[in-house]
This record gives sequence, structure tokens and C-alpha cells, in this order.
Amino acid sequence: MYLDLAEHLASPSPVDSVCITSAFSHTDFHQFCPSTGRIYQCKNTCKALVDNSCRPKTRTALPKHGLFMLGRLVQVSKNYRSVIRACMEDMHQAAVSARDPALHSQYSTQVSILSAMELIWNLCEILFVEAAVAGPLLLRLLDWVRLHVCDVDNMVREVLSSENPSKHELFWNLGNTQTLTEMELKWQHWHEECQRYLQDGTFASNSHMESICKILLGDENAILEKKELMTTWYHFLVTRLLYSHPTVKPMELRFYAQSSMDLFLGGESSPEPLDTILMAAFEFEMHQVIKECSIALSNWWFVAHLTDLLDHCKLLQSHNLYFGSNMREFLLLEYASGLFSHYSLWQLGVDYFDHCPEYGRVYLELHIERIPLNTEQKALKVLRICEQRQMHEQVRSICKIMAMKALRNNRLGSALSWSIRAKDAAFATLISDRFLKDYCEKGCFSDLDLIDNLGPSMLLSDRLTFLGKYREFHRLYGEKRFSEAAKLLLMLMTAHIAPCSFWMTLLTDALPLLEQKEVIFSAEQTYELMRCLEDLTAGKSDKQKFQDDDVETMKVEMLRLALARNLARVIVKEGTLEGS
Amino acid sequence: MVSVINTVDTSHEDMIHDAQMDYYGTRLATCSSDRSVKIFDVRNGGQILIADLRGHEGPVWQVAWAHPMYGNILASCSYDRKVIIWKEENGTWEKTYEYTGHDSSVNSVCWAPHDYGLILACGSSDGAISLLSYTGDGQWEVKKISNAHTIGCNAVSWAPAVVPGSLIEQPSGQKPNYIKRFASGGCDNLVKIWKEEDGQWKEEQKLEAHSDWVRDVAWAPSIGLPTSTIASCSQDGRVFIWTCDDASGNSWSPKLLHKFTDVVWHVSWSITANILAVSGGDNKVTLWKESVDGLWACISDVNKGQGGVSAVTEGQQNEQ
Repeated sequence: MYLDLAEHLASPSPVDSVCITSAFSHTDFHQFCPSTGRIYQCKNTCKALVDNSCRPKTRTALPKHGLFMLGRLVQVSKNYRSVIRACMEDMHQAAVSARDPALHSQYSTQVSILSAMELIWNLCEILFVEAAVAGPLLLRLLDWVRLHVCDVDNMVREVLSSENPSKHELFWNLGNTQTLTEMELKWQHWHEECQRYLQDGTFASNSHMESICKILLGDENAILEKKELMTTWYHFLVTRLLYSHPTVKPMELRFYAQSSMDLFLGGESSPEPLDTILMAAFEFEMHQVIKECSIALSNWWFVAHLTDLLDHCKLLQSHNLYFGSNMREFLLLEYASGLFSHYSLWQLGVDYFDHCPEYGRVYLELHIERIPLNTEQKALKVLRICEQRQMHEQVRSICKIMAMKALRNNRLGSALSWSIRAKDAAFATLISDRFLKDYCEKGCFSDLDLIDNLGPSMLLSDRLTFLGKYREFHRLYGEKRFSEAAKLLLMLMTAHIAPCSFWMTLLTDALPLLEQKEVIFSAEQTYELMRCLEDLTAGKSDKQKFQDDDVETMKVEMLRLALARNLARVIVKEGTLEGS
Repeated sequence: MVSVINTVDTSHEDMIHDAQMDYYGTRLATCSSDRSVKIFDVRNGGQILIADLRGHEGPVWQVAWAHPMYGNILASCSYDRKVIIWKEENGTWEKTYEYTGHDSSVNSVCWAPHDYGLILACGSSDGAISLLSYTGDGQWEVKKISNAHTIGCNAVSWAPAVVPGSLIEQPSGQKPNYIKRFASGGCDNLVKIWKEEDGQWKEEQKLEAHSDWVRDVAWAPSIGLPTSTIASCSQDGRVFIWTCDDASGNSWSPKLLHKFTDVVWHVSWSITANILAVSGGDNKVTLWKESVDGLWACISDVNKGQGGVSAVTEGQQNEQ
């Protein structure tokens, strides 16, 4: 439902694919989905609606700003209604063009539900939101009925309103500039005149005119006779009030409403849900309205937004719920939670939760982790939302999930960057080990860019530091900066940055440096290297030595030889006086 | 307002004892008396069988999904005294660990909050509860609580991870010291709460209210309040909601949700803990919500097999 509403507000172009959300069930919702472009449009418009309705809350309601606030709120209310109407239009179009009869009836049902929603909202706007606005209530109710009752016979309406047209116009025009009491006086005067005409028998010859006169006098029975022209009891109510009590005050409505409904339905049919809702509105029972709407509509959109609006009008303040959060927040939480099951509307849900001061944050924390992260893009989006709200736990959790996913798909570089972002040392160690293993097997590194640019994040885990430094060693070697490379290599072993299992590889890496024409390792460094080699070989048990294949033993032999030779050369070099 | 979204035909050859959605609600794992565990992809109302896991030699009682940060991991427990942990590697599901340390049927498995690491609690008919912790490299460490419940333990459920002193910012990389807790229900009609102290598990609380075997316990997710909530259901047809208002966890008070006409098998909380699902021998699944005055109201029930909705509010759905 929410999808339709905002979607249709955005674009006037014909609907290419329609999202159906039956007010009754969610199954329909999953069957049809609008194209992605539409989603973004609707997201923005829905967001606009959210901002529209929620931002006023932050302003304090100072008396002098009262009217301004009221104006804003009425505007917001009208916005909501126009959204509903736009949706109705599009749904109607869809119904007309639908070839499948089942689809057609589905769309038609939607249209009637939307129509009912707009009817209720409009009445609530008149009675609750615009309550402080001066001016005759009945006028607005008249407009309301005219707007919604489609089947009024225009000709009869003309006849009904043509009687004393000049007097009528004058009467209503004056209404804007005069107070209610003055209006009432004038109306009384006019009423008495009509009465006189009737009693004088001026219309006795024409029964039609007589009945019209009776209607004008507000005679209930006369009006009731024309029942078939008025489709609903509230039409009857407004008509009746128009002719019997046009200066009716809001608080008096309830009496007339109840009797109108009873008279109109006449015990033939029982009130339907819509009737109950409207009656509750006429009785100014806001909570009842919300409750009945919650029951009748299977979607939280309507009650959540209506309650939010009423809350901003400061009409619901006196009722705080047992929960500790108020009705507004309660309904918004329900609505927003529902949004999270949609693959893109969850983003709107985030905004809604932001506007729930008590539980919004917790609800968001719980929901945001459950959004399926199908793509990296989506994960980044979710992360950005979490980071903006300092939800560090969730950030860590999501990064860990992405790292694990990447690792399972053998994307080591991606896995590493995710685990760095998650500050997950254990995982980083695991991945670094994998990198090193890969290197041993293939002789080269994958994802060089990442490893080269680790920077301070290298310090997250020892293994990661080693990986970074080891790669640096290779780089230095590649740039022929041999002495620096040599120093680094040695440091990796002596500072115990390198894991013992890797020492053999490192020593083997030292071989080419030892075999260079130029002497690179100093005597001290050579002694260190020899010590490392001895540590390594001594550490091996006899059994291990026995299992070592020829390659291993040859390596050790070669190393010993190279080290010895290097030592020999360097002693000579260092012992030689410069210049000689 | 509740409607059935999907019905999955699992093709299990015998009774289905458990069905669990994964973390994201995209996959469904089911287990049955036919000794198999099946995994379905249920996105967009569809049902695609992903895996049919065989390895148990008796009816499988429960399945539990681990947190996705550890990969795709599923635990299952069975009458054959085994707990099997399955993992998805390179697109295929395989057995990654098998625990056979119990002397009798293992009735329940539950993964701990991910903050604690990868830990699985298992409750068994031999009265013991074992805790399997993953220590790395395919190794699992076992801790056993013997005689947790006399006759047998039927259910285990972990408390959500609460960060102590959460007002103070924890330095990154350092693991905060959580107080691990879980609840268990047993054949001694009791619900017990266990707490880890100095590496040892101790019985912290005994909750008495049921008059028959406790079949399931479910610790509600935390919504930021200092209160804790546990739901328990029993052979006696009653479902109790236990709440504890103080943070130290000392005084638990029960509230009767409802007395059903038959045994109640399972209770399960929604993510934000505002809806409780209850299923029982009366062939119904009912959803319950706490109303404004603290009473629990049933918001729907779904009749078994019909896939229909007999909502409390059904009669008023026809609009003008």
C-alpha cells in the first residue's frame, strides 16, 4: 500500500508495472513489483511525506506560532489526501485496463478501499486538524459530502438548491464576514419566512414545491422521503443540518450524527465498519477512530500517519500508554517494522525509526542486521546508515559477515579489507595466513594493491603486519634496494614478527642476497642469520629431520654454505682499511 | 492483519519437528522423524530445495542456524544422541562436526549470541546440558553441566548479549566481559537460568510454575530496557511469560499467557520481541501480543493444513 501511494505521487506517466498491495493480504504484494526507477522516486516522495509530518515536532508550539503551525499541519493533511487520491486514480486506470477479471476486481476493491480511506481522512482533517479554524463547520462538511458522494443526481440537486437562490448566496457569502451568532439570527429570519410560506399554503397547489419547502425547513421526514437520492447516512446528516441547523457547532455533531444514522438505516441494515469509524469521528473519539481503523484496515500506513498527524496537533497528548511509549510511536514502530521486509523500502523504515525517540534506535539495531546483503553495494549502504548513527556493534557484525562471505568465495583481498574494517584481528590473521600460503604455493601475491596500501591498519594483527612487511621486502628487492631489503628481512625474524613456520622461506629468500657480487649482509647480520638457521634446525626433532626430504636438506646445506661464504667475504671487507 | 505468505511442501516422509528461518529470512531449515534435515530457499514466496542432509540415525528434533558471520552453519540434534554441525563450503553442505557425548536423546540446540563466539548449547534426555565452543581449526571444546534437570532437559535458550557498562565506550579490539546466561526447561517441570562465573556454569534461578514437563523456553530479544523476558510452555497446556525487572536478575515473576486445551510444544519470539508465536497439540499456531494494559491478546491464528486465516477481526474486512 505504501509503495503505491508515494509512487503515484511522483510521476504522471502511465503505470508500466503496478505494485498491488491488497489491504487484505501480503501475498499480493510479493507478486508484482515496480521497476527500480520507480522505487527511488517513491522513496523520495515518501521521505518527503515523512519529513513533512515529522519535522514540525521539533519546533516548540508557541502561541504566536499557533496559526502558522496549524496552517502547516492542514497542508500536510491535504498532502496525504492528494497522495491517496493520486493512488486511487492510477488504481482506477489499472482496473479499467485490466483484462483479467480477477485482476480487475482486485484493483476495483483497492479503489474503493482507498476511497474510504480518503473519506475518513478528510473528515478527520475537518473535525480534528482544522478544529481551531474559525468559520462554519457545516460549509466544510458540505464540501466533504459533495466531494465524496458521486451518485448525487445533479438535476435534483439543482432543484433543491435553486429555491431562493439569491437568498442562499447572500446568506453564505455573508457567513464569511460575520460571526456565527449573527449568521444564526439571519438564518432564523429566513427560516421563519419559509415557514410562513408553507403555512400560508403558497405551495399547496404544487406538492413538489411543498415538499421542497418542507425540506428547506429541515423537516426530517420530508428529507427522508428523498432517501434514494442520498446514498449514505452522512449525506443525510449534512443535508438535514443544512436545513435545520446550519450553524451547528462541532460538539453538537454527535447527537445529530447518531440520530441521522438511525433514521437513515431505519433498522434495516446494521452499521458497517466505515460507518462505525465515521461515527467515532463525529463523536470526537479519536482513539476510537484509530482503533476501528486499525481493525478494519490490514495495513498500518493509514493509522500510523493519521496518528502522527493528530499527535502533532497535540490532540493525543493526554493519553499515554502502559508501555512507556505513546500511541504515535507504537504505531510508527509497527509500520516501519513492516517496511523492513521489503527489498528496498527498508530505507524508509530507517527514517521512521529515527523519528521514534523511545524505541526507534533499538528497533533499528535489531532490524538493520537482518537485511539480506546480496550485493556489496547494499552492504555499504547499510553500513553507512549504521555509521551515521554510531551503531558500532552492527557495523562490526556486518563487516564480519561480508568478510566471511568473501573468504568463502576465495576473494581474499575483499575478505581482508572487510575484516580490517571490522577490526577483527582473528579473522585478519586467518586471511593473512591464507595469503602467505598462496604465496608459498604460487610464488606470487594476489591483491598486491591492498597489501601495499595497508598503512596503519597493518597493526591490527601480527600476521597481517608480517604480511605487509614481507611484501615490502619483496618490493625493496624488486627496486634493488638490497641493503634495506636485507635489514628488513633480518628484522622480521629477529623481532619475531615472522611466524616460525615461515622462517625457512625467509632464509631461502635471503639466498639471492647472499649470492650477490656485492656483499650486502654485514658480519653481524650474517651471524644473526646463522643463529636463526641453527634455531630452526635445532628446533626440529630427530623424527622431523628424518622425514625431511632431499630438497629440505639441500636447502639447509646451501644456506650454510652461502652464509659461510658471505661471512668470509664480509670479514675481509670489514677488516680492510678504506682507501687501501 | 496477519496472513499466510507461503506454504512449503517439504516432502518429508514423516512428522516435521522443527522449522527455522535463517538470519535473513531467506532460507528455511526443516527436520523430521524421517531422519533428514532439509534446507530450502524461500525467497519471493518460492521453495527451492538446496540440501537434503543425512547423517542422523533417528528422528531429528531441532535445528538452529548460527550467525552468518561464521558462515552458513546449521546445527541439528536427534534421538540418536548425536549433535551434528553442518557447514556450507563451496556451495555444498557437509557435516563439519559430530558430537556424541550424550547418553540419551538430544532434544534441543541453541546457538549463543554471536558476541560470545561460536557456542552451541545442547539439552538432552540424560539430564545434562553440554556447551560446544568452537576454538578454531575445526576444533570444538566441550563443557558439560550434568544433572541440569532430573529425568531430562527439553529445551535451551540463550539470553541476548548485554554489554555491561555500555555507557562507557569500549576500546576497539578488546573483548568486553559479557555475563553469559541461558535458560533451560526440563522434565522436572522447572525452568532454570544458568550463569557463567569464572569459566564455570552455575544455576542462577529456578522458576517454578508449571505442573508438567516444560517443553520449550524462549528468551526474548532485548529492546534496550533493563527488563528480561522469558516465555515457557509445557505439557500442562500453559504458557507463562516471566519477567525480571532488575538488572541483576533476581526476581522473576510469571504471568499466564493462556491455558491451552492440549500440550504446547513450542514458543518463539519475533525479532523485536513484541510478538510471541505459540504452537501446540491443538493443531494451531497462534500469535500473541502484549496490549496496552499488560494483558496478552491473541492477534491471529492459523489453522493447520488449511492455510486459511481466521483473524480476530475477519468479519469487518468489507469496506464500502
